[in-house]
This record gives sequence, structure tokens and C-alpha cells, in this order.
Amino acid sequence: MAETQESVHGELGRADRRLALLLLAPAVLVLFTLSAYPLFYSIRLSLTTPTGAWTPGHFQRIFSDRLFGTALLQTFLYTAGALALELALGLLLALLLNRSLAGRNLFRTLLLLPMLMPPVVAAVIWRLLYNPSFGLINGTLQSLGVDTSGLLWIAGQRTALASVILVDVWQWTPFMFLLLLAGLQSLPAEPYEAAQMDGATRWQVFRDITWPLLRPTVLVAVLLRLLDLLRVFDQIFILTEGGPGFATETASLYIYRNAFRFVNFHYGAALSFVLLAITTVVSLWLIRMLRGRTPAAERS
Amino acid sequence: MRRQAWVYLLLVAALLPTLLPIYWVVTISLKSVVDQFAVPPLWFRFAATGEHYRDIFFVRPFGRYLWNSGVVAAVATLLALVLGTAAAYALARLPMKRNWNRHLSFWILSTRMIPPIVTILPLFLLVRDVGLLNTRLALIVVYVGFTLPFVIWMMRGFFEEVPPELEEAALMDGSSRLRALRDIVLPLVAPGLAATAIFCLIIAWNEFLFALILTQTDTVMTLPVGIAGRVTQYEIKWGAMSAAGVLAMLPVFLFALAAQRYLVRGLSLGAVKG
Repeated sequence: MAETQESVHGELGRADRRLALLLLAPAVLVLFTLSAYPLFYSIRLSLTTPTGAWTPGHFQRIFSDRLFGTALLQTFLYTAGALALELALGLLLALLLNRSLAGRNLFRTLLLLPMLMPPVVAAVIWRLLYNPSFGLINGTLQSLGVDTSGLLWIAGQRTALASVILVDVWQWTPFMFLLLLAGLQSLPAEPYEAAQMDGATRWQVFRDITWPLLRPTVLVAVLLRLLDLLRVFDQIFILTEGGPGFATETASLYIYRNAFRFVNFHYGAALSFVLLAITTVVSLWLIRMLRGRTPAAERS
Repeated sequence: MRRQAWVYLLLVAALLPTLLPIYWVVTISLKSVVDQFAVPPLWFRFAATGEHYRDIFFVRPFGRYLWNSGVVAAVATLLALVLGTAAAYALARLPMKRNWNRHLSFWILSTRMIPPIVTILPLFLLVRDVGLLNTRLALIVVYVGFTLPFVIWMMRGFFEEVPPELEEAALMDGSSRLRALRDIVLPLVAPGLAATAIFCLIIAWNEFLFALILTQTDTVMTLPVGIAGRVTQYEIKWGAMSAAGVLAMLPVFLFALAAQRYLVRGLSLGAVKG
């Protein structure tokens, strides 16, 4: 097959190369204009004053910006909390549905719904549920005779971050679940047959076969969620706008606030590079782990 | 048998919190203001009313937002499909020197790793400077860039699944590359193309941050921005906002169902959310 391809390309080589260029150029141009160019523009912004003079001042200011530190810390807490819960619940659901079961496809479809709606709508729904005075949660508790006066959810200084994490878990656990279920379904059957012959317990089967084989899928799913979680904006903007006080402020919100509310694009650009750097480092680390571990998982 | 029962029990336990919030927003959109926040909550027995739906279409400009969301998503999807399919075909089928196909593919994918808040800053200034702030055109262009990497990676995969022999036979018979692409390859990847289109529509439809920053006036605003502007206000019309929320999620549910077969592949490449 490689030979026929070679010969065809041999004959059409030049025409093909010209065609490749023609087909690729528009897309590459658009992507360059909308992603590479803005990045360069932003680098310049972050290193200049509004009058156009060069300055490292914006980056220096970041080091003494306590609020940004808090926003970053909260972004990490949000990411870690949501990721752990989504992975655990998603894996549980995937294992649960990875068997022949009447109505399986219906269950699968229904479990996916939260992930499909705009995050803005998910946030609106949860404001309806969380509202301390008339929300569904406190309303139900009240009708059961519980005193809900201290239960403020997203409005409470101490409960707000956990409450917005819960919304993320509600909306994005389906994502983990679906990718992990697909991963489970593509695992080979032989190791399981062998384990059954050896009389392995179900925990042993999971620990020694399922988990190592599923690892690459888990890493991909974690990477994709991680990229999304570190940049979280939509839901929090609607749910709390970073409040009460500063309790749910995340990196993206803080950058948005600086650039568009305080109209300081130069400082906003500098801040945004910190987020970009963190995202890049974390994802490169995960990708390396993925590349390193995949063959090992296949060998075992 | 008993194990089956346990599985069903657990599944129902997972379904309840998943679906209940969705059910609740639908009921709020249909309840009169008195019933909305009754204690104890009215789960099933309430008089349904269409007043909130009438409200969002005739009192508030949500018909307009719906139209804006639809136009922006449809045009951006169409453009991204044309540009992206062409590029994907080249990457899958026309090998360039020095492994450039691979390098380009990864550069394209890497543009998606940039958090939107990083690119929106300079893009806002650029859009403002060329006088396109508060136009649907600006949003369309930005969404084309947003969905393009996704289209390219999806379609590249679909093209690679088509056996090259099929085209080569046509090429041997003297047909041109583009003709072979149109007559032989495109019909074969049509289902994949349809799924890709659906995911692009969903990405553009759900997107919020770019729309928030680039469209601030009622005439060009999209649905998520329209909703956002009204739930961060002091007094919130929950019936109307719930109706608008139902309106915003319904098309996505229908679309996603139509493309469910490809959902896993799409998600791995960033479908649904940008």
C-alpha cells in the first residue's frame, strides 16, 4: 500500500504539494490571525505602558498582588476539588454502566444532559436551587422542619467555593463518565477471562487489570477537564461574580475584572500570561506522563 | 438478579440529582409567580402558564437574542467547515516534506490550549480598533477561529479512515484530486461531517466569554449574554429567565442526540465546550 501511495505521489508530487498549500493556507491564516497574532500583541501589551513605553512593571506588580494570589489559590482549590469528585463519580458511573443492562442507552443519554447545556444556563438553574430564602434546596429543607437560616450556599463566605464546585461537578461529571465508559468498552476481553479462570476477586480485577489498562483514558480525560477547570469563568460569573467578597474569585475572573472593569489591559495581559504559563506547564506534564505510561500500560 | 437490582438502584440514585435541576427549571418556567417559590415546593401540582414564554418573546428581546445566537452559530459553523475540511484533507492525504503535516496538526491543536481570557484581551482591542465591536460579524470571525482546530482534527480522523485505494483508483483513471475528494471521499465522510457540524453549532451556541465582551447591545447580543445580563441584576424575573434557559438548552439536547454516536470522539477533541 505504501508503494502505491509513493508512486501516485511521485507522479503528482508537485501538483499535490501546491494543492496542499492551497487547501491549508486559508485555515492557517485564520488561526494565525486569531490566535498567534493576538498572543504577540498581548506580549507587547503586558510589557508596555499605556503611552507605549517599555516596562517590566506589570509583571513586577503581580508579585505583590495578594488578590491575584488568592484568586490563583482558589482556582487551584476549585480545579482540584472538582477534578477529584468528577473523576471518582464518573468512574463509578462508568463501571456501573459497563455491563449489559436493559435500558442502558437510555440511562447513558439521560446522564449526559447536564454537560450539553450552556454553562450560563446551568448556573441560572443552580441559582434557583441555592437561593437561601426561596431556593429549592432550602425550601425543601424548611418543609421538612429544618432551620435553614444559616444555610447560605453560594451566598455564604465559607460555603460559596464548595457550592460553585458542586455545580461544576453536576455539569461535568457526565463528561468524565462518557469518556471513561468508552475507554472501558474498548478494553480487551482476554485478561478478564484469564482472571476469571484464576478466580480473582472483583477488587483484584479492578486494581490489576481495569485500572492499569484504563490509565491512558483517565489521563486524557483528566487533561481535558484540567484545561477547562483552570480557565473557569462562565458559571462563576453567573453564580457569584467572584463573591461574596472575594470567596469564589478565580484567575479568569480576576483578569477579566482588571482588563474590562478597571480598564487596565496592560496589567490584565500580564496576569493572563501567568494563567497561560500555569496551564501550559500542567498540560505538558500530563502529556509527558501520558506518552511515558501508555506503552507500559499496553505491555502489562 | 439481586445484583441487577442494586445496579438499577444506584443508577436511579445518580439520575435523580442529574435530572431534578433540569426538571425544576422547566417547572419554574411554567409556574405563575405565586407558585414559583411556594414552601413546601410544588413538585407536580401547579397550574401551568405560558406567560413567561410570552414575556421573553414579546416584552423582552429574547426572540432577537435567539436569532443572533442562531445566525452567529450557523454562519461560523459553515465557514469553519469549509476551511477546516479543506485543511484536514490536506493534512490527512497530502504528505508534505519533513513531517510538516504532523507539526502543523499539533500547532493547530495547541491553539486550543490557550485559555480564552488570554486571547480575548488583544482580540477585543483589535475588534474595537477596526470598528467591529457590537457586530455579529466580529463574533462569527472569532468563532470560526475557535471551532477551526476542532473541525480540522475531527475531519482529519474521518479522512484517515477512508481507504486511500478508493481515491487512488479514481486518480489513476485521470480524475483530479479535488474531483476525487468531491465525488468519492466527501460522500463517505458525510456522517462525520454532519456530526462535526453539530458539535460546532453547540460550541458556538454555548460560548459565553467572547460573546460577553464583543456584544453588548441588544441588537447583536447572543442568548447566553442576554440571560447573563438579567440574572446579575438586582431584581430577577425568575420565570422569564427560566423560560430563556429552557429555550437555550433545548436545541442543544436535540442536536446532541442526533450526533450521539460521535459524541465520545467529539468530546476528546473539545466538542460542546470550546
